[in-house]
Amino acid sequence: MNMMQVIQSVVWAVLLWPCLVSLGVPLECKDEQGSIILCASISKEKLLDRVIQHAELIYRVSEESCTLFEEMFVPFPMRSQRNHAGYTCATKAFPIPGSKSEIQQISDKWLLHSVLILVQSWIEPLVYLQTTLDRYDDAPDTLLKKTKWVSEKLLSLEQGVVVLIRKMLDDDMLTTSYYEQGVAPYNLQPEVLESVLRDYTLLSCFKKDAHKMETFLKLLKCRQTDKYSCFLH
Amino acid sequence: MASPSFLLLLFPSLGWLSVVTSSADPFVHAPHFTGCKSREQVTFSCWWTAGSFQNLTEPGALQMFYWKKNDLTNDWKECPDYSSSVKNECFFNKNNTVIWTTYCVRLSSKSQNITYDELCFELQDIVYPDPPVALNWTLLNVSRSGLNYDIMASWEPPPSADVSVGWLTLVYELQFRRRNSSHWKVLEHEFGTQKSIYGLSTGEEYEVRVHCAMRAFSNFGEFSDAIFVHVSEISSKESTFTVTLVLIFGAVGVAIFLMLIIFSQQQRLMVILLPPVPAPKIKGIDTELLKKGKLNELNFLLSVGGMGGLHPYPPDLYQDESWMEFIELDADEPEPGAKEDNQSSDTQRLLSLGHNNHHTSHGCSHTLSIPDNDYDPELPNQETLMLMAALLSSQPEKVEPCLGNRRSQSNPLALEVLEVPCPRLQAPGLAPEGGERPLVQTQLGGPHSWVNINFYAQVSDVMPAGGVVLSPGQQVRAPENAPTTEEDKKNNGKMEGGEEEREGEEDEEEEERRNKKLPSQLLVMDPEAGGYTTESSGRQIRTPDPSSPGEVYHAFPPPPPYLLHTTPLGDYQSLYILPNSPAQFLPPVLDYTVVQDVDSQHSLLLNPPSPQRSPSCPPQPPSKPLPTMPIGYLTPDLLGNLLP
Repeated sequence: MNMMQVIQSVVWAVLLWPCLVSLGVPLECKDEQGSIILCASISKEKLLDRVIQHAELIYRVSEESCTLFEEMFVPFPMRSQRNHAGYTCATKAFPIPGSKSEIQQISDKWLLHSVLILVQSWIEPLVYLQTTLDRYDDAPDTLLKKTKWVSEKLLSLEQGVVVLIRKMLDDDMLTTSYYEQGVAPYNLQPEVLESVLRDYTLLSCFKKDAHKMETFLKLLKCRQTDKYSCFLH
Repeated sequence: MASPSFLLLLFPSLGWLSVVTSSADPFVHAPHFTGCKSREQVTFSCWWTAGSFQNLTEPGALQMFYWKKNDLTNDWKECPDYSSSVKNECFFNKNNTVIWTTYCVRLSSKSQNITYDELCFELQDIVYPDPPVALNWTLLNVSRSGLNYDIMASWEPPPSADVSVGWLTLVYELQFRRRNSSHWKVLEHEFGTQKSIYGLSTGEEYEVRVHCAMRAFSNFGEFSDAIFVHVSEISSKESTFTVTLVLIFGAVGVAIFLMLIIFSQQQRLMVILLPPVPAPKIKGIDTELLKKGKLNELNFLLSVGGMGGLHPYPPDLYQDESWMEFIELDADEPEPGAKEDNQSSDTQRLLSLGHNNHHTSHGCSHTLSIPDNDYDPELPNQETLMLMAALLSSQPEKVEPCLGNRRSQSNPLALEVLEVPCPRLQAPGLAPEGGERPLVQTQLGGPHSWVNINFYAQVSDVMPAGGVVLSPGQQVRAPENAPTTEEDKKNNGKMEGGEEEREGEEDEEEEERRNKKLPSQLLVMDPEAGGYTTESSGRQIRTPDPSSPGEVYHAFPPPPPYLLHTTPLGDYQSLYILPNSPAQFLPPVLDYTVVQDVDSQHSLLLNPPSPQRSPSCPPQPPSKPLPTMPIGYLTPDLLGNLLP
């Protein structure tokens, strides 16, 4: 009898050996947020800080790129045409809260997911924008570099948000490559015929979305540190 | 500054419509929006003006409608809150505001049939934050010199902006200026709430202000209230102390430098600042003589000593004529008698003297003696000394007292010297000055070498350079060696510093030289040079120019030994070779005599040598008739200058 139990346990151990091993394996040691972590797990707070740093940088660079593009290519009277009624950015699959009160009422999960969706929705258009800008004759190098940098960092941000989601929400269902396939390609305004205006719109919309990402993440961070004060106002 | 930029932002948003409208009639302004602003990205307000349309100024004439992009309906809603306090303002509270959503506002008439202006924007683009609060400054440090200081300015974000939540991320810009300046210096954007300002000047008052904007936007809000920064000047004690210290050190350094210069260049400075006053003198004549009125001496000087200098004798004449000069030893014999007798006696005496190196104690004769006790022992030692021809004073009466034993007075180490007349009469014309003039003592060094030397040498030729070529009948010296001849000369009025030692040395050197060269050479001394001449100076002296002091050329008998007689005159000694008698320069003179007096007609009176001389000491130059002299040799006018 004992002999049989021993044999069974051994067999189970042999069978379940991968599971045991996998249970003991820490989080994946890949380059999260663009930084090298030697298979050491990073705390949620630090990860969140890094994610927020990424978002801030992306937002700043996108703003600089937009300004640069506007100065170079957009004629003055049309500079703020994006504010015009006819101008609009692509709408997302799901509504994103706009008011502060609404945003403060959103749950953490929803915030993170919103960020992730936003990030993932801009990966492709930015690549597209890069190819478009290369066609410009006198596009400044800084603009090209910035857009390239932004697209790279966006990928890092995506990875970070995924990990953050996994950590904070214990939600493993998302993968790094996940993005809404349902997001329609960027719809150009029918009246915007010139590529310049199209690109300008693209940059402006990206800048707005980057601002959204940053705001969401910061609110999230506020909640992590001091829940009560964040919900005030 | 925010509103103009905002206006620029908003007005073009209407597109070319507004531009066309305004350009059509610049003086007529239609009602339009003046701006929409949000302070904290939660609420916002819009303002408009009626423009020049006076009929629309009453409230309610204009209406503002808005429309949100994400509204389900597409109709325009009227302003939710026409603010009561401010005219033409519409306020949107937080319940109505959405970010990242396009708002459009429209200004229209009451009946909504005329739209005057339209504006679209998104809330995050019109955020102009409130000014920061609690602007303060602290002193960081003050520079060493006390002229500059650094401060750290700190502030707090506007309370309306919810920065802690992260709703707004602000960037700040600090500006400062001097109190009286009108230009603000702008510092870089700062994300923190403090900023340091470097390089402010003490004693000046500064204004500092700060404003903020949402990050990545350039919509800076209003400026905060300016604060004043002032740091009083630190007591300038330190700076003045430093300056004083520097000045003191600089002055000390300069003083030291000047002292160094002065001490190193003392001589030259003295010459420059206090140039020596040239004493009145006649070349070749001792002023003492003139003072004391020693006519005899004067005459002697003129005749013998000052010959070369006083008489503008053409050099050529000197060259052409061969003089024979004689140098006689001072002899103790009272009667000058025959020269030969004197010679022999002198020679013998000389020889004997030469043998007795150090113990000669003859009076007066044959020796050059330095009567002074402070005879320089460093004078050439006996080995090196050569016999110098010593000349006795030409003035018999002067010679008298001289006879003492010079040697006794002189340093025992002194060389064998030929004694000369007493110090009082060191030189003819030498004023009796206390006898402190030591005569240069020359030793009859190498007496053996002198055995065969005649004591008299004949001047066979005179060099243009002034050298005298002596030939004891045998050799003719090369002209270049002129300075090697020694001459006795009367010092005549050249007052130079006592250079007896130098004289002695020179004598000895020249003796040596003479020994090595032609023994029959005369060493000509230059009285002006303190009584002796170096080789080089000798050359100059040899030139029988009138300017040179009296150089005495003496004719020597054919086998003449020559003696050197250095007679100090005044302050110096001059080596000179005295003839037996104060001889005058005579071209072919074989004999010489001394000019004793000058008569009323200014003619020289020559004295017979012997009777007046002291029997013991003074050499009695044989009296000779006054030979015919070339005209101009001793001119009356020149003589007249000398006579008292």
